[in-house]
Formats: sequence, structure tokens, C-alpha cells
Amino acid sequence: MTKAYAVFAGLVLATLAWIHFTGWSPSNVTEDKAVPKSVRDNPGSYRSSYGGARPYTGAK
Amino acid sequence: MALTPPAPPAVASLACSGCGAPLSIRAPGRSLVVACGACGAVLDAQSADHRVIARYEAKRTVTPRIPLGSRGTLKGETWEAIGYLARRTQVAGVTYTWFEHLLHNPTGGVRWLVECGGHWTLAKIAAAVPSAPGPLEVEYLGERYRHFQTATAEITYVVGEFPSQVRAGDTATVEDYVNPPLILSGEKTKDETSWSIGEYVDGDAVWKAFGLPGEPPERTGVGAAQPSPFTPRSKTMLMLLAAFVGAALLIHLLFAILAQQRLVLDAAWEYHPPAPTTASVESEPFTLTGRSSNLMVEISSTLSQSWAYFTLTLVNEETGAARTFGREVQYYFGRDSDGSWTEGAPWDRAWLPSVPAGRYVLVVEPESPRPVTYRVRLTRDVPRPLWLWLALGVLGVPPLFFWWRQWRFEQRRWEESDHPRSGSSGRSDDDE
Repeated sequence: MTKAYAVFAGLVLATLAWIHFTGWSPSNVTEDKAVPKSVRDNPGSYRSSYGGARPYTGAK
Repeated sequence: MALTPPAPPAVASLACSGCGAPLSIRAPGRSLVVACGACGAVLDAQSADHRVIARYEAKRTVTPRIPLGSRGTLKGETWEAIGYLARRTQVAGVTYTWFEHLLHNPTGGVRWLVECGGHWTLAKIAAAVPSAPGPLEVEYLGERYRHFQTATAEITYVVGEFPSQVRAGDTATVEDYVNPPLILSGEKTKDETSWSIGEYVDGDAVWKAFGLPGEPPERTGVGAAQPSPFTPRSKTMLMLLAAFVGAALLIHLLFAILAQQRLVLDAAWEYHPPAPTTASVESEPFTLTGRSSNLMVEISSTLSQSWAYFTLTLVNEETGAARTFGREVQYYFGRDSDGSWTEGAPWDRAWLPSVPAGRYVLVVEPESPRPVTYRVRLTRDVPRPLWLWLALGVLGVPPLFFWWRQWRFEQRRWEESDHPRSGSSGRSDDDE
């Protein structure tokens, strides 16, 4: 396993050097703007004060 | 004068005084008793008439895995199987059985080849009585052994000859201490305590040594003295990990030193909504030099309780190639029943990958519900620490997996002891 690890680590280090050298990145630099404006203007909506069961108001 | 090896001792043949079955004495002079596997009679091996000195009821016949009289070379010495006994113990209502083959060599004495669950140990009389530096460990010839288990062992079957009195039904308290591949066993009877030291032997080696047909019995679990296949490589793995972590740090440091990290654009603009058609701004031209590398984009703003989305386009003035990307900046804060909270930050940072050298301009199209002043900074060729952290994480996975297997191996060993390790995920009988 140590030999396999040495080969694996060599590949990881080579990839690290190559990424540093070329500035390559697999991720998309663009951030999604799909969040609706109503949500973006209403931050913290997931917080506890917004959640939980609604109080019982009676029902017929 | 030439030395001639001593002739092998003659094998004495006799008939069992109890049932007439043929018996052999392969170690005359050393053997004290010879047991008949057919009728259970134990005969005096040293008297001329081989009288019966004990008798037990042979309820069943056990065939030794190594037939009596077989010869084989183990640990550099030739041994002959002369005796065989089966023993058992009960732990928590479960009966465990193991088998002991007595091996004899005219000059080397006797050894016990013990088989338990497909695991073999070759044992001999200990050279010294172990000392007990702690309650659960003993020291023998400078090495410490950890207590494995204590049990009452009963002989259930015996055949062949032995240098001591043995008979079926005999019981003894057996204490095992391990320091793989060694196992130190103390056997206590009402009359005496004897110690033996054993070393783990691979079943294949036993089969090969005695030329036995077929395959050795399958191993169950991990043997008490079975050497871990991981322990010898654990230190190597640690050293490799340290070396590779060092190499990753060195690579990152090298690029951090040699990278340009040159600020190529630092511009600030204001945005006043609603002005979507006039919001677009264009920077002064700037030049990127060197090999294709990344471009760090930093946006800072005066945002407060608001958001802004920036569509940025990097245009190569020489080729006309354009790269468009979007970044969102949002910053909110407040206080509720949980205390203070914040979301986002008034700044953002991104890396544009693999940007070739050339003369560029940056076009920015902001969008926000409120006026915002923002600043854009572009820095050429900045090594990302993210890749270093990722590399370190990936490099750590194989050693962690290796050490988990090593821990699991030991856990399985101690599952069968008086001191099972916590965190057991159940008994596993697969081989190692």
C-alpha cells in the first residue's frame, strides 16, 4: 500500500503544481442570480423567528 | 576424527494394553506416557510392560491435522509429530476448542504446535518465569506482554505420547499474554504453574513443512498472536505522509514566492438605481503578462442591508475574446432572539482561471436596489490556498484509511479477549 500511496501522492502533488502553474480551476466563477429578488430582499427568512408552527387560532 | 550425526532413536511399537490397538513410542526416554486414541487408555511409556496408568472414555475420535509420525521442518528445525490433544474452554456459555500437536526433535526437545480457529503458534517451554510489572501485563526477557485472556481449559481428547502426565478430563487455568507475534501462556494446575512462549506460524507454512494434503483450515477472525500486517508499515506511512505534506507546502510556497501577484486594475465606481442602461462602466486598459494564469477579482462595496449583482466582462482588446462572469455581493445584519446575526459580506473575491497574456479592459454592469459605491481590484497570478488545503486533505485520505484498517485489525483481535475494545461493530469472521 505504501507504494500505491507514493504513486497516488506523486499524482496529487503534480496536479497541485500544474494547477498553480496554469491557474486552472474546475469551478464556474459565475455565481447564480436565480434567487428571487423577494428572497434576496428578505434575508434571514430561515431563522427561528420566521419558522415553527403557526399559533392555533381556532377552527370550525 | 569425523563426527557422525546420531542415529534417530528407534521407534518402539507396542499394542495397547487396554484394547490391543497398535501404538508407537517415537521419543523413547523422553515420553512419560502414551495415550491410545482408540480406547482412551493412558499407558506408562517408560515401563517394560506399558501398563495402563489411567483410562478415560474415548467418546469420540479426533483425527489430528498432522498425523502422528509426520515429519516437517519449522523454524529451521525438523520435528516429528508424536502427540496430539484437544482442549476446550467455555466462555459465556460458548465452547471454544483448540488442538495441540506435540512435536519432538531428538536434540531440540519438544514443541507444541497449537491450532485455534485456523491460527497456529509454535510454543516451547519458557526460559524464565515472567515478572508482573502491572496487573494486566507481564515481562519476559525484556519484552512486555499484555493480558489477553484467562480461562479454564479441559483436555477432551488425547492420543500419542507425552513427556508429562496428561489425560482427558484434566483441567488447568490458562493465562495468555500477547505481544504479537509472540504469545506467553501460563498454565496453572493445583500442583504447578508452567510457562510457554509461542510464536505465530502461518498455516500455509505448517502445511508446507509437513507436506500435508489440501489447504490449511480457514482462519476465523484475528488470532491472539497474529502479527498485524499494518504495524510494520505504519511508521513508513507516517513518514510518507509527512514527506508529502512537506512537499505540498513547498510547492505552494514556491509558487507563492515566484508568482507575479501583480495588481493590474484598481478602480472604483458608483451605481445609482434605477439606471440599468447607463450602469455599465468600462475600466482603463491594462496589460496581463507572463504565462496563462489566474486573475484574482476582488469587489468591495459600501453595501449595508442590501445586495448587488455584478456582471463582469473581461475583454481582450487584441483578440476581441470576452469572458463574462457574474458575482453577487450581499450584506445583512441584525439581532433576534438568538442574538446578533449577519449574512454575507460587503466584499467578494473570485479567481478567473487560466487567463492568457494580453491587453484587456473590464466592463462592469452592476444591479442593486440601492445606491452603492464599489471598488474592483484585479491581481494577476495569485496562488489559491484552496488548492493547497484540498491537496493536503486528499493526501491524508490513504493514511487515514490505512490507520483505520490497522485499528480495526487490533479491535478484531481483542474482540476475542477478556478486554474487548469499545466501538466494536460486531464480530467479523473474514480473513486477514
